[in-house]
Amino acid sequence: MSDKLSETSALCPVCLKTIKAVKVAEDDKVFIVKECGDHGQWKVQIWSGVEHYNYLYEFAAVQKPPLKYAVPECNDCPQDCGLCNMHKQHTCLNVVEVTNICNLNCPICFATANGCGYRYHPSMDDIKKMFRTVVDHVKSPRVVQISGGEPTIRDDLPEIIRTAKDMGIEHIEVNTNALRISHDTEYLKALADAGTDSFYFQFDGIDDNIYMQTRGRPMFDVKKKAIENCGAAGVGVTLVVTVSPKINLDHVGKIIEFAAMNVPTVKGVHFQPITYFGRYPAEPTDSDRVTLPDLAKEIEKQTMGMLKADNFLPTSCSNVHCDMKSLSVVLPDGSLFPLTTMALGPPTRTDDIADKTRTEVSKLWRFIEDTMDGPADPQDRSWRSFVSRAKTHYLTVSAMAFQDVWTGEVERWERCCIHMVTPDGKLIPFCLFNCTAVNGDTMYRRRSFCPHSEPL
Amino acid sequence: MAVSEEVKKTIESRGLKVADIEKLVAEAKASKNMITNGSKFIAKKQMGDMVVYADFNEDGSINSAYGHKMKILDIVMDTSDTEWTYVKTGAKIRKGHTNLSYLGATRSAPSLVDPASGESWLEEYLAAKTIAVAEMLFSQKRA
Repeated sequence: MSDKLSETSALCPVCLKTIKAVKVAEDDKVFIVKECGDHGQWKVQIWSGVEHYNYLYEFAAVQKPPLKYAVPECNDCPQDCGLCNMHKQHTCLNVVEVTNICNLNCPICFATANGCGYRYHPSMDDIKKMFRTVVDHVKSPRVVQISGGEPTIRDDLPEIIRTAKDMGIEHIEVNTNALRISHDTEYLKALADAGTDSFYFQFDGIDDNIYMQTRGRPMFDVKKKAIENCGAAGVGVTLVVTVSPKINLDHVGKIIEFAAMNVPTVKGVHFQPITYFGRYPAEPTDSDRVTLPDLAKEIEKQTMGMLKADNFLPTSCSNVHCDMKSLSVVLPDGSLFPLTTMALGPPTRTDDIADKTRTEVSKLWRFIEDTMDGPADPQDRSWRSFVSRAKTHYLTVSAMAFQDVWTGEVERWERCCIHMVTPDGKLIPFCLFNCTAVNGDTMYRRRSFCPHSEPL
Repeated sequence: MAVSEEVKKTIESRGLKVADIEKLVAEAKASKNMITNGSKFIAKKQMGDMVVYADFNEDGSINSAYGHKMKILDIVMDTSDTEWTYVKTGAKIRKGHTNLSYLGATRSAPSLVDPASGESWLEEYLAAKTIAVAEMLFSQKRA
């Protein structure tokens, strides 16, 4: 017995055409069901817990459209993205890829690095054009993630970062597998000196058996050394975990424990349930996926209830079903003291939530700075020591459910605030950019990068 | 009662109403449920989900007002005498620490205490700074 929840549009996983889709509730799960006249029908689970799915709409922010549209007139989302006039949300995170070359060759790769048949390695002038697109289309504070491929294969990365800062980009994070910065401390220092604000570390677990499956080589020692080096360089790290139900879902608790032991260098753990775009071995089934509520339940179980599913809230900036986030203070014994809870209910004001959250958080830390002096006694059970510790020893545990060609839908794409910057001056939702059909065709990646690439 | 424009601004910036504070002062003077250091007085009252304090003078003029959402629990310890006296009983007020709970968490904070009655008062510097920050930490995600 299934109940229809809503109608939306989606993509055919074979021909990438826009097709009608419905979301239905069945056995307390939410599925997206879609049919292409030429290629058949698909039914994919996207959520666990129908009541929770519906309740989250109450957390939705009043969205603020982009400053400019690169595609002013479009009526076929998501076929002519840029962003277009149908897009409902501005950009919070701009992803700029500076190469598609990588020093690893992972069995699963969203960017299909090293294996797509072309070499995308933009010149400094092309990179400047992408930063210009960000400055022209996104209001301050602008956040850019430098990504790839593996950005640290570029010796001129410090110069790229310095250029971004000079052009008015306030916050830069570098997405890396951490291989180079685990041994090249001079290069790491140059990145830090250039203005890198944080590293976004690919981190799949604390066991090399996991890395053998995900990255094709042992990597745990590399990650530990890189974290140590980042601590010495004074740059914070977010551990980014691709979560696969068949590889490392049973390790999420240990990863959080590892992160808590490594604050304040480690600022957060960001789980990304595995998404099937780019390079992947076979067409996935529901058992190859994990939904956000199922991940939250696993976290609760594996942390022995220290971090509960109820501690996770949608950030409300993009679609409420795209992500979830918790914030905890890490106490001296390594345990987490969560500050966020669903029990607080939906936000009281949902307009311009991202700006408001950013302003409030920065004000809060400044206020703590002004009101606290001297180190707190770690054994102290006072509110003062708690607040003092919160200033440095905090950990965000968050997750984002990227959408692939099977799970994707227009309702979420048109509210997305994480955008790829293309060399031809467009901003395209990250998931949509990477959507890959069963034959390897991509929605936007290949057509955006190929004209700016060399054949291999 | 006299409330200067500056004090009025402080009171309102803390989400409190001048009329409520005036009422608090009047009630405290009538019941003598207040402490004094010889030159001024502090009184408190539970108002909704907040504990609200008034800092005022003998003539009823208000110096300041502040509050916190944390619930006052037991006195953890008292360490030394202060210049303060509990007007209601004439007991000497001592310097101490009191447990305060908020959204399931209980921790202590320095306070002025009367061990005989179990009453505690928080001073303005603490309520308006450390305790306010702790409350903000919990509520920042509500936006």
